[in-house]
Amino acid sequence: MQRSLLRLTSPRRRSLFLFVMAAPAALHVAVFALYPILRGVGFSLFQMNLMQPWLHRFICLRNYTDALADPEIRHSLIVTLIFTLGCVTAELVLGFCLALLLWPDSRFNRVATTLMLVPITVTPIVVGLIFRALLDPSFGLIGYWLVHAHLAPPQGLLGDTRTALPTMMVVDVWEWTPLVALILLAALKALPSDVLDAAEIDGADHVRRLRLIILPMMLPALFLVLVLRVTDVFRTYDIVFAATAGGPADSTNLLMLSAVKQGLLFFDIGYGSAISILMTLCIVLMAAVIMLTLRRMDRRFNES
Amino acid sequence: MSRRTKGSALLMQRSLLVMALLVFLAPILWLIMTAYEPSRAIQSVPPTLRFTPSLANFASIASNFDLPRLTLSSMVISAGSTMLSLLLGIPCGYALARTRMRSAILLAYAFLAIRGVPTVVTLIPFYLFMRQLHLLGSWWAVILMNATLSTAFVAWMMYTAFRAIPREVEDAAIVDGCSAFGAFWRVALPLARTSVAAAALLCMMFAWNDYLNPAFLTRAETRPLSVALLTAFGGNTTSGWGTLGAMAHLSTIPIVLAGLLLNRYLTAGLTRGIH
Amino acid sequence: MKRRPLLAAGLATAATLGFSRRGWSQTKPFDGMTLRLASVNDQYSPGLKALAARFHQETGIAVVVDILGYGELQTKVTTDYVGHTKGYDLATTDNVWAPQFAEAGYTVPLNDWMTRDAAEMKLDDIYPVLFTALGNYKGKQVAFPLAGYANVLAYRKDLYKSANLQPPATMQALVANAYTLTDKAHNQYGWVANGQKGAACAQDWMQYLAEVGGVLVANGQPTLNTPLNIQSLTTYRDLFQKAAPPGAVNWDWDGREASFRSGLAANMQTWSVGALGYFDPKQSKVTETAGLMVTPTADGMKPRYGIGGWGIAINADIDDRHKDAAWTFIKWITSPEIHIALNQLDACSFLRRSELHDPGLNRKYPFLSVIDESFTHGDADFRPRVPQYPEIQDILGTAVNSALVGAMTPAAALAAAQTQALRYF
Repeated sequence: MQRSLLRLTSPRRRSLFLFVMAAPAALHVAVFALYPILRGVGFSLFQMNLMQPWLHRFICLRNYTDALADPEIRHSLIVTLIFTLGCVTAELVLGFCLALLLWPDSRFNRVATTLMLVPITVTPIVVGLIFRALLDPSFGLIGYWLVHAHLAPPQGLLGDTRTALPTMMVVDVWEWTPLVALILLAALKALPSDVLDAAEIDGADHVRRLRLIILPMMLPALFLVLVLRVTDVFRTYDIVFAATAGGPADSTNLLMLSAVKQGLLFFDIGYGSAISILMTLCIVLMAAVIMLTLRRMDRRFNES
Repeated sequence: MSRRTKGSALLMQRSLLVMALLVFLAPILWLIMTAYEPSRAIQSVPPTLRFTPSLANFASIASNFDLPRLTLSSMVISAGSTMLSLLLGIPCGYALARTRMRSAILLAYAFLAIRGVPTVVTLIPFYLFMRQLHLLGSWWAVILMNATLSTAFVAWMMYTAFRAIPREVEDAAIVDGCSAFGAFWRVALPLARTSVAAAALLCMMFAWNDYLNPAFLTRAETRPLSVALLTAFGGNTTSGWGTLGAMAHLSTIPIVLAGLLLNRYLTAGLTRGIH
Repeated sequence: MKRRPLLAAGLATAATLGFSRRGWSQTKPFDGMTLRLASVNDQYSPGLKALAARFHQETGIAVVVDILGYGELQTKVTTDYVGHTKGYDLATTDNVWAPQFAEAGYTVPLNDWMTRDAAEMKLDDIYPVLFTALGNYKGKQVAFPLAGYANVLAYRKDLYKSANLQPPATMQALVANAYTLTDKAHNQYGWVANGQKGAACAQDWMQYLAEVGGVLVANGQPTLNTPLNIQSLTTYRDLFQKAAPPGAVNWDWDGREASFRSGLAANMQTWSVGALGYFDPKQSKVTETAGLMVTPTADGMKPRYGIGGWGIAINADIDDRHKDAAWTFIKWITSPEIHIALNQLDACSFLRRSELHDPGLNRKYPFLSVIDESFTHGDADFRPRVPQYPEIQDILGTAVNSALVGAMTPAAALAAAQTQALRYF
């Protein structure tokens, strides 16, 4: 059956058609993303502070070696990795649970899905401000009572070096779990129902059904969500900037705070770009690990 | 499963959802509420929720901001970004899902990698590029910038969606005399409706709450609400919680309405299956 | 009453431009022109926006006032200068940015115009320290004073009275009072300042340091970890830990001001621009009991009142006609009549002696004599006016906060800061 069809459509015309379908997006990204990025990469090879245009000169990889040797950057990298790992794990687990809860189609669930998205509509800087206000130990509706119940350190959750980072993770999880839930929900809804029906008739219990049938089919969506969240969490700036500005001490000083500070505050665009490009490499590396892991899982599921 | 256990399972599921909703909505509700409070009440010790409501904050933002224009900007930017991203991303995702070329997937990975580059690198070059194109300060500048990021996302989302649709369905249509594009447009796309709706909703929200790009690329008359929101909070000396809360009405309510509207499509009865 | 100053200002403009009074329509040489002004969102910005309409009527120049948050303004204006995109003709400029802009030649030096128009603009009516503080760099006036703020001490008269204390004459007295007035059981704290990492805590500590005689840059080199500076930071940390409200280590200006307005803190050193709020019942619970006085200094030191605020600068990239029109606007907005009108619109931002002695304004602002005294003996250099200022502020922002939260000792924090700062000199 498949073979006869292939003969009907000319393979060359077919691939031309697919090429035409993909080309506009590729072109757009090349012009409006790749070109600026390449210019930015070029900047990173220069000593280039826009406040001192007379000092610009080519210094090859010096910005990169400087960044790697900078103790602030090294510390920030560790903080950022902990932050990323914690947030993405929590968002994935909670998001998947939420998606399962929202899966059955009903009016209640539809409205719930929409309301769940409200946190995403709020500009992240404002989210940071909201939580700074709510958690404040003097004025905050939550923070005041937490401190009085001795559930938070005297300077508040965001004022103590031990609790600030975990608290910021909770804020990030609060804001983005609905996004994870929505993408996973869309994937769940797209699952072919005949497979699910068949599983139901076979009498597979819930957990087995989830592990053996649903999860393997969800792998592409999981990959998307993981990569999306890892990419974005690793570059978190706004919520932390608004809530703690990287403090107390340097306990929440994420890499992106350093990059923005260098690039858009000191206008040391050479150094700022170098930090950012190192960040991109980290992100690509993590994405590659995720991809390989999921691919191995995929193979295992398909064999079993 | 007996009716009773089914009923209690439903109750359990709903109460869990209600709890989750409370957690997700309470902070926003607090922000919305500050709009009706005089600032003296917001920062009182010990914190309290009791106050005499007033509409002064709305009057204040109405006199300091061109609210219809801000709302229009937000709508144009998010609608434009969403449409452009869908227009570019959906066909691309389809092509990636249907091609037999293994190397084509590299394009998809490249998209994702580009999305991961921090704005610090791209913002100034992009700013200068927009100046060259005489688009600086226009809605287009923000739309083009957003679309570069969202296209990658849409393409991926649609790639996974189209891969889940068996190719035989389209092949059958082609046998029936459908063109290649027709098979995509009339067969594959409707089957991937949920994913299109989800992608559209998310693109819209990314564009709607984005701050840094529009802050740089727009002017006073093209500025969206997300940027004005922060200006409303503003000064060093007076806490603008009330004005921020008032502004948040404008920035939250339309998107919730849009969400409710799109939601129909999002969860439309597609679970009936593919035959 | 309202019409007269308006007419007078109009006439002054006409005279400046060398046109006769008769040719009224011709007194608008820039009629139809549009100027774009980037303004920070501060106490004076709504007034600026409102007065722009009046300027339009009088001169035919439309001024589009674009109100932006602090960080947004800084980044946006700098990007505009760097990319030579001519997005804004005029921009309000924080006094600490001026040296950098001057070095790079991004804003127009105004000296020639100022010499030419000195008499007409009554420049000797403006406090000299404001010229220095708000935009003078190595003799070049790269921004014109627009809004002068003085560092003042806000204190609670009632608490001082019930504790039988006198308002502090010296820093030592202020510190002692802060401890005396702290009563945690009754949610009463003697002291508050910005504690948040970054610009917030760096700027407040710099003010405190100046008052005890500390120096951050001497002879073109950073001197962050002198014994006096370390000792000052130690005292400062103790104040935060023992006499400041909970959460102050994560407060910036907003939280600090709120703590005073809500009655939580008894003493606060602050910019005069927020003072109007203490007497506004919609915002404040201390309308009857708040007092303002000049900031104290260490025993035996001569007064050192910190001066800050905003200048207004002209983009160097725009054409000459626009520059002329922009200068016309600067002259107009800083003229005695118009600046008083700006302050009638709650700006709480002052420039001129005549303004601080204006009866109408004195009724509205019951504390102008304090600002007059601060401006007269003001110190423009408590924040070092060097091009490396943003870096120094950032480094101190981390060091001071680390000391305040107890992550590092003051000595170790300042030593680390000094090492980092040396890289930029």
